[in-house]
Amino acid sequence: MNDNVIKVENLVKYFDGRCVLDGINLTVPRGCIYGLLGRNGAGKTTIIRILLGTEPTTRGDTFLLGTESTNLAPKDRGRIGCVAEGHNLIQNYKVERLIKLCKDLSLQWNHESFDHLIETFRLPMDRRVKNLSMGMRAQLNLALAMAIDPELLILDDPTLGLDTVARRQFLELAIEVIQKQDRTILFCSHILSDVERIADRIGILAAGKLVVDCPLEQLKERVKKLRIIFGESPPENLYLTEIVNQQIHGREMTVTVANWNRQKQAILETFKPSSCTEIPMSLEDIFIECTRPGTEPVQVA
Amino acid sequence: MLTLIRREIRDHIVYFIAAVVFSAILIAFLTAAMYNLDWVGSVVFEALSVPILIILVLGFSAMGVTQMYLDRNRRISAFLSALPVTRSRILTARIIAGLLAILIVLVPLTITAIVMGRLTGPPIPISSGHIADILTTVFLMTFACYCLGLLTGWTANKIAPTFGALGLNLVLVSLVFVKGFGPNIKFLLVLVIVACLIRTWHKFMSTSL
Amino acid sequence: MQIRIDNASNRPVYRQIIDQIKRDIALGRLVKDEKLPTVRQLAAQLAINPNTIAKAYRQLEGEGIIVTRPGSGAFIANLDSNLSRSVRKRLLSDELERIAVDAFHMQINTETLLELFNNAVEKLNVPSKKPPSGIHKGEDSNE
Repeated sequence: MNDNVIKVENLVKYFDGRCVLDGINLTVPRGCIYGLLGRNGAGKTTIIRILLGTEPTTRGDTFLLGTESTNLAPKDRGRIGCVAEGHNLIQNYKVERLIKLCKDLSLQWNHESFDHLIETFRLPMDRRVKNLSMGMRAQLNLALAMAIDPELLILDDPTLGLDTVARRQFLELAIEVIQKQDRTILFCSHILSDVERIADRIGILAAGKLVVDCPLEQLKERVKKLRIIFGESPPENLYLTEIVNQQIHGREMTVTVANWNRQKQAILETFKPSSCTEIPMSLEDIFIECTRPGTEPVQVA
Repeated sequence: MLTLIRREIRDHIVYFIAAVVFSAILIAFLTAAMYNLDWVGSVVFEALSVPILIILVLGFSAMGVTQMYLDRNRRISAFLSALPVTRSRILTARIIAGLLAILIVLVPLTITAIVMGRLTGPPIPISSGHIADILTTVFLMTFACYCLGLLTGWTANKIAPTFGALGLNLVLVSLVFVKGFGPNIKFLLVLVIVACLIRTWHKFMSTSL
Repeated sequence: MQIRIDNASNRPVYRQIIDQIKRDIALGRLVKDEKLPTVRQLAAQLAINPNTIAKAYRQLEGEGIIVTRPGSGAFIANLDSNLSRSVRKRLLSDELERIAVDAFHMQINTETLLELFNNAVEKLNVPSKKPPSGIHKGEDSNE
């Protein structure tokens, strides 16, 4: 059995003639925690909506748990927990009523863990959903998604609106899920520190393409930013492939290279630079470099 | 399914309460008409039948519109789709709820009419077969207007369902009055119902939520 | 065991865990045969993906810094053992080579490099005393 829990094949999506996704290929194997990053409007929510079948593709296919997204049967949906952007809940209902509705319609329900979550989040039962704060709606959404003990969790900006304590609670919750074995999570977040804590793999979406798709621990080793000082004016062409970014100030050249390896090191040394120092990059720095407009879409994979 | 139907009923409880109340009023009228003088009864019966029909028709059409409009604008189906339910089940539950409301009005009325018919005889000289005919047509017409409501209600626009539904309903009702009760009108009504349901089904299943 | 993840760092999270455990051992905060928290415990405590912690532990074990005993958990290795010591010496000499290369590129000469190294070692050995500037007044006058 094909154990890729999420599969995206050549996904192309146009909105009003504007290309939002330009050939996305992505596979998330079972047990992987995948952090999808990208600037606002990059298309992360679109990918998630397409995966869940609420948005049609322009071209290409997406699969969840082996089934095509547009054909998800109720029993498949029962294995998927999702927190959508904007926290899609029925606003007029009281919290209690909404919970009961979900409980009655779900295929499985973990009463113990759900009640524990509601208690931890201190969610008021008799208030209407529209009268909850944004953070509380996020927590309610999260609790409902977790209660069904899902095999696959799809979370679109799950910490939006959460205060510091609540964000930490969410992280701890995510770790609990991960410890359960064989649970797969796909999540989008803008809080890179959170992503760095819990993700196994990272994807960065920019200009409609997945410019980065690699294990997190390797990302910092593969993308290098170097400050090279040359004896005379820098050469026009470094003959290095996969240059993400390049800037020249006099004799100094700052270049960000993807998939750094010995060959590239050797090529660089043939130009005999007078000095070559590595500028340390945090995940945030790498993200900013890779999502700069006009950047060459280089695949770090 | 039961959960979904329960949800529909609870969300639109107003219509169900109104149906019960209306049903009670109609039964009261019918009983009163039966026990009064025959000629008063027949006048009351004929004078009131038109407004009663109009209330039925508009009321259930409004129910159909409300069900679909509220769903779309409160994004109820969007939420439910994330749960293990299919869209077809949501729509089926909705239609069943509508049918239930219609039956709440018509079934007690029918039973009362039959019982009265056996006890005292009809207020106006018509056969029991004729009564059955009338009631079936009324049922079909009400359901057809309900389906028109469902069809026009699935939109974010506030004006379209109100006037669209109203317009279509008036057309339908006038057709019934022109053609009178009979097999032709029944056939027409069934056609309208089927067309509406198919179109509603298609719209509901294919819109992105 | 207090581990803090620095998100501004250019080192991956698992490396930071490794570094901090090694530092704790060097500072005497973790002693020989002391039991480390399990992967699960540490993951829950720090809110970090258990796979990352498992990787850190695996690497530490490969370097001979910790030993895992099946059924009991992970323990700080006996750092006096010869095998472990030679592994550590090799690793440290690799690290020193890297520093020597960096120093060359940064145009720091060997004397300055040794001075910096001595300062670092002193800071480590005498953690509770004041920083050296108050004690070495004579040498400071050159700066």
